[in-house]
Amino acid sequence: MTGFADRGAAPDSTVTYAFAVCRGEDASGAPLPPGLSAGAPVRALRFGALTAIVQEVPAADFTEEVWRRRLSDRAEVERCARAHHAVVTAVARFRPTVPLALCTLYRDDWRAIEALGRDEARFAEVLDRVAGHVEWGVKVYVRPEEHASGPDGATGATPRPAPGAAARGSAGGPAPGAGRAYLAERRERQRSRVRRHEETLRDADVVDTTLRGLASAARRLQPQHQELTGDPRPQILNAAYLVAQERTAELSAAVTALRRRVGAHIEVTGPWVPYSFAGEV
Amino acid sequence: MTEARLDVDRERMGQDLVKLVLTVVELLRQLMERQAIRRVDEGDLTDDQVDRVGSTLMMLEERMAELCEQHGLRLDDLNLNLGPLGSLLPRD
Repeated sequence: MTGFADRGAAPDSTVTYAFAVCRGEDASGAPLPPGLSAGAPVRALRFGALTAIVQEVPAADFTEEVWRRRLSDRAEVERCARAHHAVVTAVARFRPTVPLALCTLYRDDWRAIEALGRDEARFAEVLDRVAGHVEWGVKVYVRPEEHASGPDGATGATPRPAPGAAARGSAGGPAPGAGRAYLAERRERQRSRVRRHEETLRDADVVDTTLRGLASAARRLQPQHQELTGDPRPQILNAAYLVAQERTAELSAAVTALRRRVGAHIEVTGPWVPYSFAGEV
Repeated sequence: MTEARLDVDRERMGQDLVKLVLTVVELLRQLMERQAIRRVDEGDLTDDQVDRVGSTLMMLEERMAELCEQHGLRLDDLNLNLGPLGSLLPRD
């Protein structure tokens, strides 16, 4: 269980921050990054048959209030997430690793051992699942040309007569027939929007189905909003695939083939430590 | 989510309110348009009625465009991000 540090704790007291859980007697095979505090090194902490990667951090930096304030500061969140991720990645390079959530805190090493120990069986299960696997992130965006302008050119600029000019009748209202033409054009625009929408969803499904065939596990996540991606094209698939390391070449061949087949923009990131497959431990 | 930082700026609040009102009006206009198209497709309107309904919707759209222009907005600006549900109005 995660608990924030007490506000009333002694000024120089520390709490135990946990980054990840892995197998192995000695998890300190390679030098580990500095983590979240300059004061103490990132180190291994045995619990049962497993090892947690932890660090002592100043309690005053990890009270609930401080953390909350930190979360509303994007740059600060990024700094913490990167430091956390750097440790997780360094550990995962040499052994199966279950990353823990950002800001997983225990009052001290004993509490960490006690709490993590209660979940030992579940950690072992996840470690078996992710061993020899990496996570790939796949995002699919709407075909660019279709987003810029519909297949029939039905975009903001419509072919209907300029409003107020040619369509005006003598009484100042639209000329006879103009209303009917307007509705017909609107209907066509609606239909092509529905058609494009369906094609787009089909593209996403084709990509997902194909890649699932290569993966040991897959998760479809909520597509990210344009404000978050900074990409003008809407995202239609946001998925994570747990793929055996020896199938990496197969995966990249499949993506190349899909790019040719669906024409949608497919973005692949990875290999990642299997964050999306760590389960709710 | 966390508590977002609030920037209170009276002028911007006024502008945001105008945008919200126009967005709601545009939503209603588009709903009427869909309803009209459906009724036309069902064939329960005479030719003359179709033309009149179409003309009315067309004039409403022109009026919306004028209102947007007066307030320094584009029709594309009239939308609400509903998060996981997407946007309120369909985007082209």
